[in-house]
This record gives sequence, structure tokens and C-alpha cells, in this order.
Amino acid sequence: MGMELSCVRKGRFQQFVPILLWGFVSVFPFLPFVNDYWVDVGFFVGLYGLLGLSLNVVLGEVGLFDLGHAAFYAIGAYTTAILNTTLNIPVLLLLPVSALVASGFAYLVMSPVIHLRGDYLCIVTIGIGEIVRIIIVNNPWGITNGPNGITGVGFPAFGPFVIQTPTQFYYFVWAVVALVAFVLLRLQRSRIGRAWNAIREDEVAAEATGIDVRAYKLLAFTLGAALAGLAGNIYAAKMAVVSPQSFLFMESALLFCIVLLGGLGSLPGVLLGAALVVVFPEVFRRFASFRLLFFGLALMVTMIFRPGGLLPRKREILGLDGLDVQGFSAEKVSPVRMGQVSLEERSPVQPRELDPCPLLEVQGVTLRFGGLVAVNQYDLVVYPKRVTSLIGPNGAGKTTLFNIITGIYHPNEGKVLFKGEDITGLKPHLVVTRGIARTFQNIRLFPSLTCFENVLMGRHCRGKAGIVPAVLRTPFQLREEREFMEIAAYWLYRVGLWEYRNELARNLPYGRQKYLEIARALATGPELLILDEPSSGLNERETEELMGFLQELLQEGITILLIEHDMNVVMGISDWVSVMDMGSKIAEGSPWEVYNHPRVIEAYLGKEEEWVGSTS
Amino acid sequence: MKSKGIVMLLVLGAVFFGGQVFAEEPIRIGLQAPITGSFAIEGQMARQCVEVAAELINKQGGILGRPVEIVVADDASNPRDSALAAQKLISQGVVAAIASYGSSVTEPAADLYERNRVVCVAYGATAVRLTMGKERQYFFRTCGRDDSQGEFFARFAVETMGWRRIAIMHDNQTYGKGVAEETKKYLEPYIREGRAEIVYYDAITPGEQDYSAALTKLRESNPDVWYYTAYYPEAGLLVRQAREMGITVPFVGSNAVPNEDFVRIAGLEYVVGTFMTQEPLPQDLNTPKAQEFFAAYRAKYGDIPSSPWPIYAADALFALAQAIENAKSTKPDDIAQAMRTMENAEGITGPIVFTERGDRKGVPYAMYRYNEKGQLELFKP
Amino acid sequence: MQVFFEQLVNGVMVGSFYALVALGYSMVYGVMKLINFAHGDLFTLGSYLGYTFLVWGAAWITERAGLWWGVLGAILFAFLANAGAGVLVERMAYRPVYRAGRLPLVVSALGMSIFLQNAIMAIWGPRFQVYPGGLVPTASLRFLGLSLPLLKVVILFLSLGVMFVMYWIVEKTEFGAAVRATALDREMATLLGIDVRKVILFVFALGPALGGMAGVMNGMYYRSIQFSMGWNYGLKAFTATILGGIGNIPGAMVGGVLLGVVETLLAGYVPGGGAWKDGFTFLILILVLIFRPTGILGEKVAEKV
Repeated sequence: MGMELSCVRKGRFQQFVPILLWGFVSVFPFLPFVNDYWVDVGFFVGLYGLLGLSLNVVLGEVGLFDLGHAAFYAIGAYTTAILNTTLNIPVLLLLPVSALVASGFAYLVMSPVIHLRGDYLCIVTIGIGEIVRIIIVNNPWGITNGPNGITGVGFPAFGPFVIQTPTQFYYFVWAVVALVAFVLLRLQRSRIGRAWNAIREDEVAAEATGIDVRAYKLLAFTLGAALAGLAGNIYAAKMAVVSPQSFLFMESALLFCIVLLGGLGSLPGVLLGAALVVVFPEVFRRFASFRLLFFGLALMVTMIFRPGGLLPRKREILGLDGLDVQGFSAEKVSPVRMGQVSLEERSPVQPRELDPCPLLEVQGVTLRFGGLVAVNQYDLVVYPKRVTSLIGPNGAGKTTLFNIITGIYHPNEGKVLFKGEDITGLKPHLVVTRGIARTFQNIRLFPSLTCFENVLMGRHCRGKAGIVPAVLRTPFQLREEREFMEIAAYWLYRVGLWEYRNELARNLPYGRQKYLEIARALATGPELLILDEPSSGLNERETEELMGFLQELLQEGITILLIEHDMNVVMGISDWVSVMDMGSKIAEGSPWEVYNHPRVIEAYLGKEEEWVGSTS
Repeated sequence: MKSKGIVMLLVLGAVFFGGQVFAEEPIRIGLQAPITGSFAIEGQMARQCVEVAAELINKQGGILGRPVEIVVADDASNPRDSALAAQKLISQGVVAAIASYGSSVTEPAADLYERNRVVCVAYGATAVRLTMGKERQYFFRTCGRDDSQGEFFARFAVETMGWRRIAIMHDNQTYGKGVAEETKKYLEPYIREGRAEIVYYDAITPGEQDYSAALTKLRESNPDVWYYTAYYPEAGLLVRQAREMGITVPFVGSNAVPNEDFVRIAGLEYVVGTFMTQEPLPQDLNTPKAQEFFAAYRAKYGDIPSSPWPIYAADALFALAQAIENAKSTKPDDIAQAMRTMENAEGITGPIVFTERGDRKGVPYAMYRYNEKGQLELFKP
Repeated sequence: MQVFFEQLVNGVMVGSFYALVALGYSMVYGVMKLINFAHGDLFTLGSYLGYTFLVWGAAWITERAGLWWGVLGAILFAFLANAGAGVLVERMAYRPVYRAGRLPLVVSALGMSIFLQNAIMAIWGPRFQVYPGGLVPTASLRFLGLSLPLLKVVILFLSLGVMFVMYWIVEKTEFGAAVRATALDREMATLLGIDVRKVILFVFALGPALGGMAGVMNGMYYRSIQFSMGWNYGLKAFTATILGGIGNIPGAMVGGVLLGVVETLLAGYVPGGGAWKDGFTFLILILVLIFRPTGILGEKVAEKV
């Protein structure tokens, strides 16, 4: 995406802005010019702020194209209305109930379609929004009362204290907004929020980095729906009547505009967007039939001049104080899976004996794409603490084989065993937890996140803190975050990118981006590192550095599997080479054996040609 | 020279003192209507009607000697905007409000007016629930209710015309479905006696244009009469398409159907012979008010309003004006009391009298029929 | 059985109309990946322009040359004027926003849709306008025992004709190759020397022009038009495009007709179906997408990882 999703903003003034704004919100009803009408306007700003926050989780954080969010809002409102008027359940109690029902509905309905991308998801969400509205209008079993809606919804009450005046509702909704904003802010800064952003940036990369993309997407929808359900309850209580008129497609479109006007993923931005969307038509009442005309114009103009939103999310500089980077020693961090191998056990120079037990075994793997056989009965064995290279002409199927190993493709035949466990067809993020990490041929970073955040994302799969610990910042969660940051910092430092830590990944030069991707892979704590053409695009000196780095990793106990074209690298560090051509293995052995193998030469250069010298 | 100056002074003086008559603070009455949104036609016409009515009132000296001023607030056919519009009007200190169009839109506004003790007169909200549900002291309406129309049709269809197989079609919105449901309810006793049968009960989607699917289904159900209870745009399309398909079933429209645009859309040839359940038309009442009003409206806009609801809005203003005159006060309680008890209010649609609960008393429905000239005539079976 | 056949024909007729609107929509969508929410309103604009033409100009033409020439005049006028409008819309609301990505474009499109709709209301008023009766042909054909309005048959064949012409342009001509290239990878196309701006101009002229033409045909057949009628057709066009497969011209046609047939059969056969029809239509769409994520005629394109 060419969009400026985030920027780094500085300024001491910035710190006071939120305090000023919250102060304004608190005293607003008491300002001199403010009467009940303006208080109600303020109430709706708060309500739409809440709705905007709820959609922001789905659209802003995860980047899912949701144009039917009003459905969850409607379900929350109707749950409250129905249960209150028929069973006399108190409205306040129905606040969490509405949230639960809406989120339950979201879970059920989105599960079968969550894998859809972009516009397909868009039309599906539009469809869901319309289906919910049509169900409400048609009054099945008489529970929704059709187009007239349900009247007589009660007021929320804390014991004797009843919320019924405009001012009381105003404070009620803003209290809920404050609480929700607090929770979302905590989530934003936790591993969950980071995972969401990673999915938005690049789903495939996120999955390959160990994030359970499907689960997190569903989580976002469920949470977003719950918050919309809350808003529905408050709306029903305020208006005392709910009818399908309030939940047309235009409502979902309006929420969409709120999130984008404010800035994707920006909490203050969303609140500002809500304020604009609610106040603008009110202020323009004097223009009567033209006010919507101006509103449409305003939307276009805003997108032309501030497409990133009015208050775009700034990627915060994560709290890195107290991290003594220079002091990183090997004792602090074990690159191999935490707690399993300590470095004292290793000697500085590793003798490369043949370990009889293979780390990774690929057995007879075949993959067909329609009529094309991409991988044909391939066998490959990777022994621990060695470098194995997979080479072959372009289009041979090498990357495809990697994709099979890492779970992106399911082979039609054959098995993949890792440390004796059959991992064939295991989902990519689970493969990462088993101990295999990879990089991509075309570099798949998270472009709008900082380098530090990119590497931090690698650590995600080793974390356990869920939503509740993240929001409450339990000691366990804080410890985990600290540990994550230390490890990420370590790897960033190791690949020589520490000075770029707060730079957005997409701003890095190509060569450094490659290292960043490797650092991210290493942060997952792998035993096997799979690199897809790591030296492509690097010059001679950079390639030498890379080879040196890979040697260091070897000595620290990591096994490496490479796809490579650069013969210097293949000859220089490989212990074992497997050659692939048109999906099949054509040769295998030590580098020199393969180098002189006639079939290999033929595959690269064609028959009857003398292969003179080395490639360079 | 001198005489010119004196004349000038005299003229200025006359103007100045003449103006003093209306230098009193105006009585502000709010009008809440859908100026934008899907029912913009109704809202904009309502505003025009109310403004013409206000002009007529002012020409005759205003209310209690004070001029009437109309404050308009757009509710865009949306409950949220309706609440804000009501709040806006209340905060602007209106003496009473004419609100609104659409039952589900009117309800939140009605609650607000009630809570703030402002008299509210609805002109396009026919749901029974508005007056028969919650107890409302300050709510009135000049339009009829769904049940009276439904009851009339049921009785007329079975008793007067002997139609047995009844098809009811609506558009799934509050007004259309409301009348349809009430009609069904009032047909129940006849169905039990075996004198009637509902062979078709379904909704079309408003805003669409192709109804061949629904019409084919209608035809297959073989009805004796086809009652369409919603609005004229779809009604026009339906009648035209049905007749072109060769469907000759007698068509009856509810009171939102008959108007000039219906004739244009359906085409005169197909409109002839269609029935309409209607409250007494202005042309049949021949009230002086109606004549005066339509003359003034025509002078300003070139045509008479094409929908009944804006006319009810104007009548709401006439009712309020009379009530305030009767009560000799602009206090809400006095106005409400006067509204409930007055007998001397004259509107375009006839005498305006309210029941205890705020409904318009005596809205007699009658069956009308379009003649060859495209005009409605009272139908005498 | 006769009734079923009749409903089927009804469905195909309605569907061919949706297809005509969808073809214009999918042109823009396929190349620009832009969900043009304003397409429905451009459709409405077309019908109003046609109306204006007929009311002011056509009487003169009809007197001299006959009914069908007046009709042709209206269509041509709407077609050309809408092409201009489409280009204008692109310059004003979309071009400045391309660099920002897809989501801001959606908001801009929504804004343009609201703007256009209210502009139409401001210019022509909120009242329903009716296409003048005398200037529109009303004959019918008899076909297999059914009476089919001539105009509807013309629309069906027109949609098919338009589809074939568009298909030929896009698949068989050099310019069409440029269009396809731009659709697949705009940046690469520029690097290969394709004048992408011409392609975009073409697409934003042709798409809305087709929409305008559909608008006039709509006005002529159904007679009444109103400023808010476009929303419904826009959504149907989007649905039809996805149903048939994104960026696929035959797909838009198939999607449109299928949508019409499904809707009609639901309305005709499900008890109380008229009220639930839209709900079921969306449900079917969702089910289709679950089992064929790229639409009915869409190709499964494996993403290169």
C-alpha cells in the first residue's frame, strides 16, 4: 500500500493534547452556551466514537474491509430492547449481555468467511448487514415487531440512581468510551495489537512469522462486535425505541468513514472523526437540503488532502530504556529455543560431525497445480548444525518446496518430518512454533512498522499473554514484554540494524531489509532457519558478510537450509547440496560433487557446453 | 419642497407605526420534517404547505395578534436525527412542534417533546401505538390511523363489494405494513365466517422497479381484489406493469397512493377504474379553508401538493393556531388542554377535533375511484 | 410449469438489465480495483439526462424522423454526457487519491455518491419524474405464449451486444491488451510504455457511459425516475460483478442475469418471499463465495508467495 499509515510525530505539546481534550469532554455540559440540544449532540459524538472504536479494531488495526458493522450494533440494540421489554431484565445488566450476544453472532457468522480477502469480504459484510436488517424488518416469530420497532425500553439504573437526562446519558456514554479507549490502547501496545497490525501489513508474512492469522482476525471481529453491541445497548436505552431505520447500510458506511477520516488505528483520530461526522450535519442545518451535498464534498476533500486521516496513528517509540545494548552477551540470550541449550555447552569452533539424527526430512513430496507438477517425489534430509543448500535453475520449484515445508502448501503426496514429528500440512504459524523460521524470496516485511516492531513480531509466537493480562498489565505480561524486547533488541543489534530501530521498515535500503527479515526470523527462536535466496541483490562484500553471519549462527547451534543462486555462497558454506530441476531431484551430495555433476551442468547451461570458470 | 418633506415624514411614520402592529415577538412553531433523505419529497412539500398556511394565518392578523414564525428542522427520516432535530427545536424555544413523518421516526421525537412538555402534532405518523401505547399528554395527530383505514377496507370489500379472495401487498415499511397488518386483523372475523380469504400477503421492495416476479405470483393466486397499502411511486409502477401483463384484477390503493404523480407514473389509461381508500378529499369538502389554501399554494408553487401528508401538516398548524387563540395563552398545558377540548378548529381536511388520546376524531374513510379524466370521484356501488 | 417458465423469463429480463449496469461497473472495477459507489448515481444521472433530452429535444426529432430516432437521440446524449461526467468524477474525486491506497478511495467514492445524489436532487428536484409517454415505444412481442414488451427484448439483446463488443475490445484488440495489463499491474504497465492515463480515461468514460445508457433504458421502460434510485442498482451491480468473478466481462453478464433469475424465483416461489428476497439473495452470494471464492467465472489465481 502506498499509504502513509503512520508517521513519527514529536513535540511536547502533543502530550498535553489528550489531557486538554478529556478535560473539555468532562466539563462540556457545563459550558455557558451548552443546552440540552448540544449535550445530546455531545452524547451522539460519544456514541459514534464508541462505534468508531469498535470498527477500528476490525478495519483500523487488522485492515479487514468491514462495511456491515451496523449489523452488530443492531443486534446489541435489539437484544437489549427485546430482553428488557419482554423479560424485564434491567437495561444495565443487558449491557454486557448485548455485547456477548453481538460477539457470539459475529463469531458464528464470520467464521466461515474470515478467509476471504479484500472486496470479497466487503460484499459479504454488506450482505450480512442487509440480512440482519431484513430479518429485523420481517419480524420472525414476532420478536422484533417489524418496521415499527420496539418501544418502551427502560433506562439504565445503578440501584436508585437512574440515567435518564441528557446530561446523565452524556456522562454515561463518555465513561464507557473512556474505559473502552483505555482497553484498546493497552491492547494496541501489547503483542495482540502488534499481531493485528502485522496481519494488516502482510497476512502471509504474519502467518509465516508465527501469528495465527485466522484466530486473530476472528478475535478482532468478535471484539469489534462486542463493542458495537455495547453501543447498541446504550442507544436503545437513550432513544427508548429501536427500529430498523437506524441500521441501514448508510450507517455502516458512516462508521467506515469515521475510521478513515480519523486515521486507521488511531484512537484519538477515530473520536475526532466521530465528532466531525456528527457535528458537521448539525452545524450545516441552516443549509437545509444542501447539507448532505456539503457532507459528500467534505468527505472527498478530506481524502484528497489527508488520506491518512486527520490524526494518523504514530508508531510509538517503544520504551527501550534500560536496555543495555552494548552489553549484550551470549549468556543473556540463547538463540536456540529458550531454555533448551545454554551456550556454555558449546565450544567456539564446532567440529562438523555427522549427526545421525536428521532434523528435517522431506519424503517423497509431490505437489501438482492443476496439470503442472511443481514438485515431483522429492526427498531431502537436513542434518542439524549444518548448512544444506537447495539449488537449481529458475522455476525449478525450490520456493514451492520451501512453501510445502513451512505449511503454506499441502503436498498431494509425501511427508515432511521435523525432529521425528510429522508436520505435513501443518498451518504455517504452527510450523514456526515447532522451530522452523523462514525468509522470503521477495522480502516480506511489515512496511509501515518500525524495524524494531518487525523483529518484535517474530517473538509473538513464543508469548502466552492473552487479552486480559495485556489489558491489566499483569506482572507476568510485563515480564514477557520485557523479555520480548530484550530478545528483539538483541537480534536487531546482531544484524547491525540497531541504529535503524525506530525507522519504518520500508525506508530501509534493500540490503538491510534482507537482514531485517533474517532478524525477524531469528527472533522466533528457531532450530532450523530456512532462507530463500538470502544473497540475491547483495554485492560481493555484503555477500561475504552474510556468509560470515551464517557461520556464526551455525556455531550457535542453528541449522540452515538455503535456496541459493550465488555459487560462491553455495561452495563457501554448504555442507550438503541438493539440486532441483523441473520439480525433481537431479543430483545431491557435497558441494564439489554437485559442482562437477554433468546433469547439474546440463540443467544450468544446456548440453554440450563447457562450464568455464565460476559464476560471478 | 416643504410639502414633500412632510409627506415623506407622514409615510415613514405610517410605515413605522403600521409596522408596530407586528413588532411583537412572533410565536415560533417548529416543523420537523424529512427535508433530506429518502422521503425528501414529503418533507419539502410539508414545509411548503406549512409555510403557506403560516402566511395565510399572518395575513389575517396572526395568532393572538402576533405573527407566526415557522422554524424548520430536518430529521432525514432517521431516528437519531429526529431526536437531535427535536432537541434543537426545543432548545430554540418553540411554543409547539409539528412533527413528524414516519412513525418510527416520530416516536423518539414524541418522547422528547413529552418529557420537555412541548405540544407535538404529527402529520404523517399513522401507527396505532403512538397514541394507544404510552400515555402521552402533549401528543396529537391530524392524520388518521392504520386501523381505521384497515377496518374500512375490510368492511367495504366483504360487505359492500362481496370480494372474497383478497390480495394484500405492502412495502415492508412502517406505514405500508401497518395498514396491511390492520387490514388483515379486521378481515379475521370474516375469514372465520368463511366470507373472505387472504390469498396473497407479501411485500415488494420499495426503490426497485421491476415487479414482474411479484405480479406473476399475484396473478397466480387468483384474487378478486388487490389492495396495495403503501406509496404512490411503487403503486404507479405496479399498476402499469400489471395491466401490461394483462392482469385485470381490481386495484385498491391506500390513502398514500392517489395523487397526480401516481397518474403520471401509471399512465392515465391504466389509472381509470382504480379504487382508493381515502379520507374525504378537499374537493369533496369544499371548505373555504381548502379553497383559500389551494389558491395560495397554487399561486406560489404552480400546483397543489401531490401527497396527503403535507396537507395534514398544514392542518396541524391551523389546529395549533386555533388552540392557542382559544386558550389565550402559549403555555404548553393550556395549549394541550385547548387542543383536546376545542370544537371550532377548521382545517383544509375539514373540522379538526381530537380524541382524549390525541387522535383525530371522525376520520371517515370512503372509497374513491378514478374516472376517465384522471380525477377521483366518490364511488357509489 | 408455464408459470415457472414465465418467472424464469422475468428473471432473465430483469437480469439482463442488471447485467447492463454491471458491465459498466465492472469496467472501472476491473481496471482500477475501485468500488465505484458513485456508479449507481451516474446511472441515475444518465436517466435524468435522457429525460431532459426527451422532454426538450426529442419531440422535434420524433416529429421528423419517428419514435426510435428520438429514443436513439436520448441514449446517445446520455451516453456521451455521462462519459464526460465519468471523466470529471475521476479527475475530481479519485485521481488525487490513488496514491493513498484503496481504503481512502472507498471513502471518496462514498462521498461522491452522496454528492451526486444530492446534486441531482438539487437540480431536478426530489419529485419523481416520468418519462413522457408519447415518446417511448410500447409495442410487445408474443413469444412461446408470453407477451414480452419489445423494449425489454431490446434491452436483453443490447446487453448481450454490449458484452460482446466489450469482450472483443478487451480481449482482441491491442488497446484491450493495454487495458488488461493496466488492470493486472498498473506500475509495470507504465514502465512498459503503456499510456496508463489513456487507459484510465477510456475506462472512466466507457463505464459511466454504459451506466448512463442503462439509466435511459431504465427510464424508458419503467417510466419513473427519482434521485435516490441509483443506490439499489449500484449495489446489484457490485453483487453481480462479484458473483460472476471480478474483472471478468462475461462474468459481469452472467452474474447480472443470474442475480435477476435468483431474485425473481425467490420472490415468486418462497412464501412471503417478496419481503425476504434480498436477504436470501445475499445469503446465496455468501454461500457461493464460500465455495467458489473467486466467483462463478473467476479464475483461481494462486498468489505467488
